[in-house]
Amino acid sequence: MRSAFAKRESRSGYIFAGPAALFMFALVVYPMAYGIFISTQKTNLIDEWEFVGAKYYLQLISDSEFFSTLGTTGLFAALVVAGNMIIGLLLAVIVNQKIPLANFFKVILMLPWLFPETVVGLIWKWIFSPLFGLLNHALMSFNLIETETDILGRENTAFAGVVFVCIWKGYPIVMLMMMAGMKNIPQERYEAASIDGANKWQQFRHITIPGLRPIILVAVILETAWWFKHFTIIWLMTGGGPAGRTEVVSIEIYLQAFTNFNFGRAAAESVIILLILLVASFIYSRVLRDESE
Amino acid sequence: MNQSKQKTGFMTNKKNNQFVTRIASYGILLTMTFLIIVPVLWMISTSLKSEDAIWDTPIEIIPSEPTLHNFKNLWSTHPFLQYLENSLIVVCSSTLISVAISTFAGYGISRFKFRGRGMYMSFLLATQLFPSIMLLIPYYKIFMTLGLIDNITALVITYVSFTIPFCTWMMRGYFAGISKDLDQAASIDGAGRIRVFTSVILPIAWPGVAATAIYAFIAGWNEYLFAMAFINTDTHKTVSLGIGQLIGEYRILWGELMAGALYALIPMAVIFIFFNRYLVSGLSAGAVKE
Repeated sequence: MRSAFAKRESRSGYIFAGPAALFMFALVVYPMAYGIFISTQKTNLIDEWEFVGAKYYLQLISDSEFFSTLGTTGLFAALVVAGNMIIGLLLAVIVNQKIPLANFFKVILMLPWLFPETVVGLIWKWIFSPLFGLLNHALMSFNLIETETDILGRENTAFAGVVFVCIWKGYPIVMLMMMAGMKNIPQERYEAASIDGANKWQQFRHITIPGLRPIILVAVILETAWWFKHFTIIWLMTGGGPAGRTEVVSIEIYLQAFTNFNFGRAAAESVIILLILLVASFIYSRVLRDESE
Repeated sequence: MNQSKQKTGFMTNKKNNQFVTRIASYGILLTMTFLIIVPVLWMISTSLKSEDAIWDTPIEIIPSEPTLHNFKNLWSTHPFLQYLENSLIVVCSSTLISVAISTFAGYGISRFKFRGRGMYMSFLLATQLFPSIMLLIPYYKIFMTLGLIDNITALVITYVSFTIPFCTWMMRGYFAGISKDLDQAASIDGAGRIRVFTSVILPIAWPGVAATAIYAFIAGWNEYLFAMAFINTDTHKTVSLGIGQLIGEYRILWGELMAGALYALIPMAVIFIFFNRYLVSGLSAGAVKE
């Protein structure tokens, strides 16, 4: 009797979850395996297929330029994720207080999340523009600079500009996740703490942060994966320039494949990114889990 | 310990603290609001200026002679209506397919124990880590073989693959919040599994489905990289691709670009105005529940 029930249970499970599994197999598993295959080939994807084994991987691990691209990407992702987490968490805590106009600010603060990345890239490229851009105009009218500076065209400012814009775009999703997470922290804990004389900071440190730990872990992992492979905003604002200063790995892969038609090498690069992200998320979950124990 | 003295000292201290916290809170909120509103107003202001007025010094923050020239011109110099149509076809079809499939899957995972369920769930989460660019090259080859390069069907397939994992995860969270007693009551009445799902559970889960659909829609509407790699012909482009590529033209017309950006924002504005409350509730259900 019991086993007949279990059998029916699992059959129902397959019926409901089956179509999605088939789609995932056809659209994700198979193409990924195919991607790994391509990474071992010297190919133009049409008629030239020559097995080269680990050639591209060996090339990549001895290529200092690829490492500097990885370094740029790592720094970019680290700064954007840190910025998003700090600003997103801070704003979530602030709008979660019962203060006048909190709902109005919630709406405003959410806006960048709804802006398509293309739109974000374009607006800021225009604001940063050396010719009649708003930022240059503002800086000049406050006498902070004397002549127009090409923020996105100069090697020492382009990277900071891109990071700033990506944080502008990226913090609202963290804020939303944190707001959702805070709903699950019982209000009584704060009341009890405040009776015991705990100030806002102590409450934040000892109630909010521990209560949010699981969602912070999810957010950090997802954010790292998202920004490590980010493409659109940087592509539109700088195209990877000047002098490769903002060339992240997604741009490198795109150029390698669709400008140099070096598909095998591009595929090998993406496999390496996958490995890096898997290792990173493993380390994250270890570190954050240990802390909570 | 002198308790009463400690208490009064603590009360004034607390008031002071509260005041400082409040000032700091509003300071931060106003700074952020400024950083968000200025670019938005600047975009609107630029889109309403004539090409000459954009290059006027000193810069006009509010255009003295506002014109809709840029909005009209974009329709005549680029097949912008076609971009909008393509985007709507691609994004609506991919959203529909992916929400339908992931609603079923989310229900299945939340209700039934079956072999491979745990692995399946880990796999769904792991897909979020896969660099989407890893699929770019294999997809390019597969679509080449299928003759789908420069065809918007390729984008539908791509966006379905992006959105199914996240949507399934969100729906699973939503169904987990609906009591299993409902299913059991309906099954005792003799309804089959599918009937229970379609006529009892689905009507209650409607807000979760709406939130999931919105996420899938936004993801598709914003996608740029794959559209750029797979689509060449102007009349096959999506809005995101169309406005992104305006910047590559030999002369950047900022007025038209900003008008294009505003067109791309229309569906987002609609979502924001009408479905705002689903966004947060859907996210809290899908992302937080373990």
